[in-house]
Amino acid sequence: MRWLRIAALLVVFGFLLGAAVWMRPFGEPLATGMDDHFIERSQEEVSANNTVTAVLFDYRGFDTLGEATVLFCAVLGVALVLRRWAR
Amino acid sequence: MTALTVLQVLLLVLLVMCGVLAVWLKDLLGSVIALAAGSLLLALQFYLLQAPDVAIAEAGIGAALTTALFVLAIRKTRRKEEE
Amino acid sequence: MSVVVRTVARLLLAPVAIFGAYVVMHGHLTPGGGFQGGAVIASAIALVVVAFGAQRLRKQKKTLSVLEDVGATAFAVLAFLGIGVTFFYNALAGTGGLFGQTVPIGPNPGALNTGGLLPLMNWAVGLKVLAGLGSMVLLLGLLGGDDDR
Repeated sequence: MRWLRIAALLVVFGFLLGAAVWMRPFGEPLATGMDDHFIERSQEEVSANNTVTAVLFDYRGFDTLGEATVLFCAVLGVALVLRRWAR
Repeated sequence: MTALTVLQVLLLVLLVMCGVLAVWLKDLLGSVIALAAGSLLLALQFYLLQAPDVAIAEAGIGAALTTALFVLAIRKTRRKEEE
Repeated sequence: MSVVVRTVARLLLAPVAIFGAYVVMHGHLTPGGGFQGGAVIASAIALVVVAFGAQRLRKQKKTLSVLEDVGATAFAVLAFLGIGVTFFYNALAGTGGLFGQTVPIGPNPGALNTGGLLPLMNWAVGLKVLAGLGSMVLLLGLLGGDDDR
């Protein structure tokens, strides 16, 4: 059992090492069509200098809406569980 | 090997050391501090990889809020880990 | 908590909160935005809870709850403003009114009065995240009554 655990650990480590060695070079994505659209058009379409914010709140607004929903559900769960004991 | 690469590798090694320290320590408060230090190193790594947004989020949530939650939980339970 | 922690918390509280407000306000110009700035302000609340005890903020539970509702409602309403084109359409961008100044194409230093709905949405999300994370830390600090040591 002990040797099995060590072998599993080594296999996972090998996969991670392989992924780190054969990773794509940093800053060179495979498909660039969407990125180029955002980078070139965000100033005239959203009139914002910060492209990240333009993507976050305008092009991909539903993503932020989902994130807000997740946060709301987390706070609701914490409040429901702790309400009785939090004095 | 530029200086930036050396700095990034050094940061990653320190990050792994912080993770090992967080598991190895018996004092849970020290373990939390090690986690916070690792989170701060990760924020610096994000900044070096030109992602300042993620760096601010990591420093705010990972290094401050998670540490506060763990410290509050330790204050309400025991400080030493038991065998 | 000890005197050292309390003194450092007193010194750091205002700069942390002001930096968080700066990150939220300049979300459409500099790195960061509503989520990051809200998390930084919430860490100021966590500093108070850890250093001075949660009982000091017990009355603020209602305030945080109201702030969370205001943030969520404002975000949804701002998203509905552009419903004439699509959901989440930036209705204020480039109209010349509030936050409606157009930006020149290419690298430029940036002006505060740009971005359309983005700064307002940053404020909404910032309020929401600040109230949500802050109330989570506050509720955990209040758990089990007063045991500040």
